[in-house]
Amino acid sequence: MELIGVALITIGLVFRIISVIGVIRFPDAFTRLHATGKAATVGLFGLLAGASFIMPALIWKALALGLFMLAAAPVVSHAIASAERSPHSVRE
Amino acid sequence: MISQEFLNIFYDIVLVIQVLLLLPTLYFAVKGPTISDRLLAVDLFTTLIVGIIVILVLITENEALLDIGIAIAAVSFIGTLAVARYVSEGKVF
Repeated sequence: MELIGVALITIGLVFRIISVIGVIRFPDAFTRLHATGKAATVGLFGLLAGASFIMPALIWKALALGLFMLAAAPVVSHAIASAERSPHSVRE
Repeated sequence: MISQEFLNIFYDIVLVIQVLLLLPTLYFAVKGPTISDRLLAVDLFTTLIVGIIVILVLITENEALLDIGIAIAAVSFIGTLAVARYVSEGKVF
């Protein structure tokens, strides 16, 4: 049980590192949005699933948080992309 | 079966890596050329903080700490959505 938890936490951590590297290296906001979606969905879900495998009492709160982030991340990405497309977006 | 010493060292390594990941995100929240870059960096920052709280739950073995993560995720969702709609539409609602 702990072995599966450690493996899932490692997967989530690798997705978060990849996401931050993508935010550093991608050229503009649309491609950076593609990178931040990784940390918000797969990264957090991996961490929560690993934590639930190690501490089984955690599973309901982890499921609530994971499903909320799974629903909230595309909405936030859509709103940020439409903010970038709009003419009010000022480049300094 | 994994020993408790290995799990403690693993938690510490994951915690230190996630705290180090906060630094480039904070730099991009200050620098980012457009307002959308800053917004997206702040959103990524709060997501990383929720991940840190998940590891803190495992270290302290206190499951009530996960409520803080749920609250931070909800407040960050509302805040980011409000600022993004203000930029794109000119008004929040």
